[in-house]
Amino acid sequence: MTTNQFAIVDTDIHERVQYKDILKYLDEPFRHYITNCHWIQEKHMPYTQPAVAGVDRADAITPDGRPGGSDLAFMQKQLLDDIGHEYGILTSALDPSPSSMHGWYEMATALASAYNDWQIEEWLDKDDRLYGSVHIAAQDRDAAIKEIERVGSHPKMVQVLLPIDDIMWGDPFYHPIFEACEKHQLMIGMHHNEPPVYYGKWPRYFIEWHTLIPTAHMKQVTNMIFNGVFDKFPKLGLIMIEGGFTWVPHLMWKMDQQYRDLRHEVPWLKRKPSDIFKQQIKVTTQPAEELTKQEFASLVEQMGTDEILCFSTDYPHWDYDSPTRALPKMDPELKKKIFAENAKAFYPKLPK
Amino acid sequence: MKEQIVCKTSDLEPGQMKASLFGKQSVVICRTLDGEFYAFLNQCTHQGAPLDKGMICGATTEESQPGEYHYCRKGEIIRCPWHGREFDIKNEGRMLANPNKKLPNYNVKIENDHVIIYK
Repeated sequence: MTTNQFAIVDTDIHERVQYKDILKYLDEPFRHYITNCHWIQEKHMPYTQPAVAGVDRADAITPDGRPGGSDLAFMQKQLLDDIGHEYGILTSALDPSPSSMHGWYEMATALASAYNDWQIEEWLDKDDRLYGSVHIAAQDRDAAIKEIERVGSHPKMVQVLLPIDDIMWGDPFYHPIFEACEKHQLMIGMHHNEPPVYYGKWPRYFIEWHTLIPTAHMKQVTNMIFNGVFDKFPKLGLIMIEGGFTWVPHLMWKMDQQYRDLRHEVPWLKRKPSDIFKQQIKVTTQPAEELTKQEFASLVEQMGTDEILCFSTDYPHWDYDSPTRALPKMDPELKKKIFAENAKAFYPKLPK
Repeated sequence: MKEQIVCKTSDLEPGQMKASLFGKQSVVICRTLDGEFYAFLNQCTHQGAPLDKGMICGATTEESQPGEYHYCRKGEIIRCPWHGREFDIKNEGRMLANPNKKLPNYNVKIENDHVIIYK
């Protein structure tokens, strides 16, 4: 039985792979490094896990004890069927996370390929509602482009994921990645990883880091816009995943004001930054601050368009947003846009 | 006044909780370390998560100076399974970070090893 009465496109669902499950998709010698040499990806977070069951909802642990997001059947029961998703976009659990490896790009590249094949075979081919993200090891640009060429034409791959980490992706060196995306009608999805919000190290407390994640998203948006990515690739779209959205009006105003003063430094910009934002950038809603109906409506008005926000749950993570409880009441037209239509308009490969 | 048996006293060890039904309403029955029973609506006030899937634990208190931790109140705090919000079992289910918010609670009595709740 579904609990909602409206269409939902969920733009952030974290499926999770276990190392043992990915091995059969992994080429040698990289399989050997895991099975015989016990390689696991380095993890850095120095804090206690944030909530009751680590980074997952405690009730998302599978009945046989695997981490949340590991099992399609359980995800179908707890999320897709229960809520009644029309579509969901898989964004992975980042463990292992090829795109955030700070070294050994060969392993990262091999992992990305294995992950994509696992995702297609175990998830996308098994549930019509689920659409996927192409994983790449973008640190090795040319290998990343090969991977986009290899799986990017899959009909259910809708975006390429880039980590929000210590590389600013607007740098012209990475533009060939965007060219490959445009060719395959893939959007760019950016999601932060565990390394720090500011560059160098973690803040003292988790609550500081988690509060300031939106600043890392703001840095990437600013970088992508002022490096001219969106005029150079007019069909490219960028969706900022899991950074919340209340920062959007501030950044639009700030970039426009700076552009009026300092345009001479970035003459390749043909539109004012807020127009680029409105036309080519989307932002997922989770984690939503608790706003009143009036505050929320005012914020959307300040954005100058109601076509930026795309609903997301972040299932199965601890800071999951419920489709019926996370956002305040809003008028039906706005609700349709935020919960489904904006995402459908954004992803060319998502059925309309 | 509606009353209902929701479980036996032996169903819960001190420091445990479990879900039950009060009419059609899901409730969470909690037993603190001193053996007392408490009952609340089994929904977080924030986004409605089922509280019985969370944990009963202690808490760090607000008396701390920066950099100091004092872990106390063991077995007296419900932590939500989703966002980790903390509710004080012995203080009407009030939320630690915002005591103005509290879980709807039920009266509890024990008769013949039965835990009975009533409004």
